[in-house]
Amino acid sequence: MSEKLYAWLLRLYPSRFREAYGDEALQLFRDRARDERANIPRLRLWVDLLCDLAWSLPREYFHVQPELASYALRLHSEDGPSLVVLADESLGPGALLFGAVLALAVVAAFSALLNHGVKHVPLSALIRPARSAANVLSSRFTPPAPELTRDSQAGAIAPGTGQPPELTASSSQAENLAAGNAESDGHIPSEELRPFEKPSTQPRGAVLVYAKAKLAAAERHLVIVEAAANLKQHYVDANVAQKMADALVQHEKNGDDDVTDGRAFADLLTKQMREVSHDRHLEVVYSETPLPDPPVVTPEFYARYRKAMEQTNCTFEPVKILPHNIGYLKFNSFPDPSVCRQVAEDAMEALNHADAVIFDLRDNRGGNPGMVRLIAAYLFDRPQYMYNPREETKQDSWTRSPVPGNRLANEPVYVLTSGNTFSAAEHFSYDLKMLKRATLVGERTAGATDVGIFHRLDDHFGIAIRETGAINPYSEPDWDGIGVRPNVKVKAADALETAVKLAENRLQKK
Amino acid sequence: MPKQKLNPLPSAAFQILLALAGEDLHGYGIMRQVAEQTNDRMRLGPGTLYSSIQTLLDAKLIEEIEPREDAKLGHERRRYYRLTSAGRKLARCEAERLADLVRLARAKKILRGEYV
Repeated sequence: MSEKLYAWLLRLYPSRFREAYGDEALQLFRDRARDERANIPRLRLWVDLLCDLAWSLPREYFHVQPELASYALRLHSEDGPSLVVLADESLGPGALLFGAVLALAVVAAFSALLNHGVKHVPLSALIRPARSAANVLSSRFTPPAPELTRDSQAGAIAPGTGQPPELTASSSQAENLAAGNAESDGHIPSEELRPFEKPSTQPRGAVLVYAKAKLAAAERHLVIVEAAANLKQHYVDANVAQKMADALVQHEKNGDDDVTDGRAFADLLTKQMREVSHDRHLEVVYSETPLPDPPVVTPEFYARYRKAMEQTNCTFEPVKILPHNIGYLKFNSFPDPSVCRQVAEDAMEALNHADAVIFDLRDNRGGNPGMVRLIAAYLFDRPQYMYNPREETKQDSWTRSPVPGNRLANEPVYVLTSGNTFSAAEHFSYDLKMLKRATLVGERTAGATDVGIFHRLDDHFGIAIRETGAINPYSEPDWDGIGVRPNVKVKAADALETAVKLAENRLQKK
Repeated sequence: MPKQKLNPLPSAAFQILLALAGEDLHGYGIMRQVAEQTNDRMRLGPGTLYSSIQTLLDAKLIEEIEPREDAKLGHERRRYYRLTSAGRKLARCEAERLADLVRLARAKKILRGEYV
């Protein structure tokens, strides 16, 4: 029996080997089997045979013993030219088995790499290459950008491409904010920061010409020095900050930074920092047009914001009650609660008797995390932690649930999303999704967390540094750069219809 | 013998050369001799044994001689192998190389005492 089994195993060897030594191998097996009859030697015999198989099969197929083989070739060639046929073998079962295993391994490695790539490739760079990354990233720091001006003229601040509500997020403490800005910018002596440019004295065209010029080693050095200084000053973990700063300097010394394209240089620095920290919220950004000066949030600006909010009902559209008593609320920003608390509370009150609620965030450009918690509070019957990668966890990170008189805590909730759903609106969507409190319907959101606080390095380079240590309690990474994926993926235009259908089905089952 | 070309000799091949240094042997005989000279640490399985034999034959380091019976193992005719002079020379080169290594290990205080 065991001899038959071994004879079968021998068939795994190439026919060349079987023809030459098959009988001898079987004979050797018989000899050993005869001599090693007791249980333990018999077991050892089979262990030996299996080890031998594993060891010698690949050698038989791949001719491993190059030293001897080449020696043989040399011997032959001394007698004159000779032809050595290395592969005169049809595919045996061993080769097929090996091929199958290899194919499986390649497929597994490929899929592993794919997953790995999704997690670590700086996707933000891929997803928002067209927009000036600096504008997206600059958060507390967002200047009164052209969009803002245009929007204010149109009478609505919120729907701008910049994030004015966010800007004024903490502007209930406008002075604090202004002080914060002064602090974040003030630590760098301005002469040291911008030796190359004198924007106030130079015509703008001159700066642009400079921007398109090739990046000189001197500016690269300056950017690296500034980036290292900013990391050490602002990064949440001082040890890691020091390591990253050292790495940046070391790479420069090694001559790794020899690129003349601004964006490529920014990406390179980003990569070097992330190699050390594995923190995807860190990013160096490059802007071809000169970065604007940090905004100063003045009481006048704040008054203008308040006025614009009043004119637009805080970007909240009127609540609608759809057939089957489904409440529908569309709002296009998460405005500062110190200005818009009443509007939000009125809207939620109007939804209070609905049997299901649809929040339409398809045009919501984000805003204030306080407003996120204020609205989310209605959806829970006990305080709920709303994870926000931008903020340290504090007492205020929990919703103030239950809200007296509220009936919505256990009603089904749907959130409509689109590629224009930004920032705080993504915060709202992400947390409700992770808490399994809402069904997201629509498109993947924009992926604009702006976790990193933006610091200016020079006229064209800035760095976004995460300054908070809030730990994500969920297994899925937050939306920075990658967006929040909806539970039900449909085109944004069809999201409302789909959500209504889902809600109706759900209500019928009740 | 081009020492560098065969440097290092695969360990199974070297053991086979050593096994054949004393007398001509058949496959099973080589296997037992190798097991004996390595205190049972190396038990050559058929695959390793015969693929090494084939390589050594190709390199003309051993040769196959007239098949004959082994009286102790019954009446089957067996293929016997013999060390060639090239094989003996190569084995000596390899042994010298290993002896050099041992001397080096001694000099570096990795190996001490009377092991060799």
